[in-house]
Amino acid sequence: MPPSTDPFYAGLGQAVRIGTEMLAALIVGGGLGWLVDTYLFASGPWGMVVGLVLGVTAGIRNAYRMAQQWK
Amino acid sequence: MENPLHPFELHQLVQLSLFGVDISLNKAVLMMWVVVGLAATLLVLGGASRRLVPTKLQSLAELLVEFIRGIIIDTMGQDGIRFFPLVATLFVFILFSNLLGLIPGSYTVTSQIAVTGAFALMVYGLSIVLGFLLHGVKFFGILIPPGTPGWLLPLMMPIELISQLARPISLAVRLFANMTAGHVILGVLFGLAITGGALIGWLPFAFTIAMNALEVGIAFIQAYIFTVLTCVYLGDAVHLHGHEAHAH
Repeated sequence: MPPSTDPFYAGLGQAVRIGTEMLAALIVGGGLGWLVDTYLFASGPWGMVVGLVLGVTAGIRNAYRMAQQWK
Repeated sequence: MENPLHPFELHQLVQLSLFGVDISLNKAVLMMWVVVGLAATLLVLGGASRRLVPTKLQSLAELLVEFIRGIIIDTMGQDGIRFFPLVATLFVFILFSNLLGLIPGSYTVTSQIAVTGAFALMVYGLSIVLGFLLHGVKFFGILIPPGTPGWLLPLMMPIELISQLARPISLAVRLFANMTAGHVILGVLFGLAITGGALIGWLPFAFTIAMNALEVGIAFIQAYIFTVLTCVYLGDAVHLHGHEAHAH
């Protein structure tokens, strides 16, 4: 499989992974917060705020963990 | 100019329904059959000869098998090889869908989030079921990263839960978005080439050719990434934190 051993394509593959990794965590965090707000407690915007913060944290952590594997 | 998302719309070609469930045929279903048929034919033919000095098709099939075997052993260790049939099927199907979708006039099955989402949920569901079967309640330990001080646990567990739940989403969205975006770009450039006419149209047309070459690379990369992450998630479920990789 030439393209996956080619350094250009290998780097491209890892670069496009970081974006989705962060985005997915953000979506899940915000979504869970929204679910808590809407169906569990009527806690206004706060569930989603906390969820988004946790989601961003999880996303950055995932990206950081990925980047550490490259060394 | 034509709507660049138009090629992704699916229309019923043959109306079918089974017990009230709509199972009509459309372009994506037909294309999936083509992918499965072609992949199965090539691999069965390649595996049929079994010569010591391989034929061209046989060496292609051997290269593919060795490549997938390498991915599994790198990410899951020797005992991960029992997942070979699943991982190889996923890789071959996604690779063939991505590559065949680049032929003008065909359809990219993996540009439908229903398809990639089904794969991602299957892989992630399998890893969860496997984890609980192998480790029982201890599998909840996947929410606690090794080396976390106790007072950080209330913060780390929600974060870890979110990054676990994000796995199937990022798996599905990555493949779907890359395939869709690549084809949208190709469509827009080709539309520009047609509107540009003979005077300037050759410029975007040259870009479509360059983009197509890049898309062939992306087709390989996305199939590769999906396969590697499948192995990583299954490996996490089997080994739980990786430290006791061969201990259990």
